[in-house]
Amino acid sequence: MARGGGNRSRLLLIILLVTSLFLITLDLRGIGATKSSRSLAQSILAPIQKSVANVFSPVGRFFGDIKNFPSEKEKVTALKSENAKLKSQVLVNKDIAGQLKQLKGVLDLAGRGGYQTVSARVIGRGSASAFSQTITIDAGTADHIAADMTVISEHGLVGVVKSVDAHSAIVVLMSDPAFKVGVRIARSQSVGVLTGTGGNTFSLELLDPAGDIQNGDTLFTNGSDSNRPFVPGVPVGVVTSVDHTSATLTQTATVKSYSNLGNIGIVSVVVSAPTSAPKQAINPTPQPTVTVYVTPAPAPSLSATPGGLSPTPTTTPSPTTSSSKKAKK
Amino acid sequence: MSPVRIGINAALLLVIFTIQETVISRIHLPITGFSFYLTSVLLLVLLENRTGAVILGFVAGIILDLSPSSQSPFGQWALILTAVAYIIAVNAESIDELISRPVGLGIFVAIGASFSLVAYLLMDSLLGQPTGTLGRDTIVIAGNFLWTMFASPFLAPLFLAFRKATIGSRERI
Repeated sequence: MARGGGNRSRLLLIILLVTSLFLITLDLRGIGATKSSRSLAQSILAPIQKSVANVFSPVGRFFGDIKNFPSEKEKVTALKSENAKLKSQVLVNKDIAGQLKQLKGVLDLAGRGGYQTVSARVIGRGSASAFSQTITIDAGTADHIAADMTVISEHGLVGVVKSVDAHSAIVVLMSDPAFKVGVRIARSQSVGVLTGTGGNTFSLELLDPAGDIQNGDTLFTNGSDSNRPFVPGVPVGVVTSVDHTSATLTQTATVKSYSNLGNIGIVSVVVSAPTSAPKQAINPTPQPTVTVYVTPAPAPSLSATPGGLSPTPTTTPSPTTSSSKKAKK
Repeated sequence: MSPVRIGINAALLLVIFTIQETVISRIHLPITGFSFYLTSVLLLVLLENRTGAVILGFVAGIILDLSPSSQSPFGQWALILTAVAYIIAVNAESIDELISRPVGLGIFVAIGASFSLVAYLLMDSLLGQPTGTLGRDTIVIAGNFLWTMFASPFLAPLFLAFRKATIGSRERI
């Protein structure tokens, strides 16, 4: 192995370290040259990733399949017996099939008010050299995808578009430590911030210290201004444990995501949010307030009666009470 | 290190980087966290003298900074790999006998790769970048250590052959 060097190598080391620090400073100050060099690398790598994805997609899960082989074998046997039972049930369920057809129609109707999405295939995953959690998809600006768009899978939120090229885009997964999303709890409508931890679980911090949160609570995205980067109403995950320690100012909880981020093949990018904003649902439930109207007792009036004047009350003085609901804003 | 060999090494690193980004990162390895690129860089650095190692570390860092999936500032990997390459080149001189054995080489390169990742995390913290949970980061670094230790002895002969093929007669002397 070649050895040598001395003062020359030390001087070179200092020069290169200073150059690196200079590059870091330029990047942190937002100079475009560094960003464009990364997007150039992305545009070069994307076609290669796309072609490699076709070849390596069966190989990718090779080790996982080997590990899970015994359990998969048991699963197949169990599924076979279940399949036989289901076949017999199909005959009985013809009536249910008719109802299902109606239900599908209702769901389609509901879907019309939903998101406009562009579906894409995952062609790459974040490099193991860095700790960031990202995926590369095979859709870009040519497919009307832009940065800061919500990315969803069949089960719920996946992440957000970080950078976009003509035919590819980098998506930051919700498991990335830098990822933060505003969420609301479906049951109590409490609002909080969900943060990625780098793994399969997520950390939820409620904004309201007295907010209501329980195990099994479902979380939805709260939405952002102009629906970027997050559209409202996307299922995020479920609360698995709540930290009730009084040491913290806010309540925290651990959340499991609906999407299996380690095994995503197809995703959809939300290019347009629904016009009727589900954000309205996060308004607090209106509190009824009681307003009391009191009619003052009228002064006694004189009325003419046969046989003289006699004081007779014309109205019965009575306080009237009515209640009305006013929403507290 | 001659300018021609810097160019050849940079080309090789670009190929390895492409393989890392397109192939290796798609394979779901047990424990996770293998960096073929980092292992290759450290093996190439081991074959160089101090000056060559520093240049190679800087070039390798710049290439790694080009990674579209990277969220750290441009130049962070260049800074880390330049420093790590120098440290490796200096220390390798004193343990020449140890790293001539496959197990010793594997452990040495794995320590270098883990040290790079720890330095990367520390720098992320200093720059205010999110670093994830300690448990997750430990798993990534431990996984990378094991894979690097396992792969290094197999990759080393390939890089040695590459160096022999590309080194000029002047440098050979």
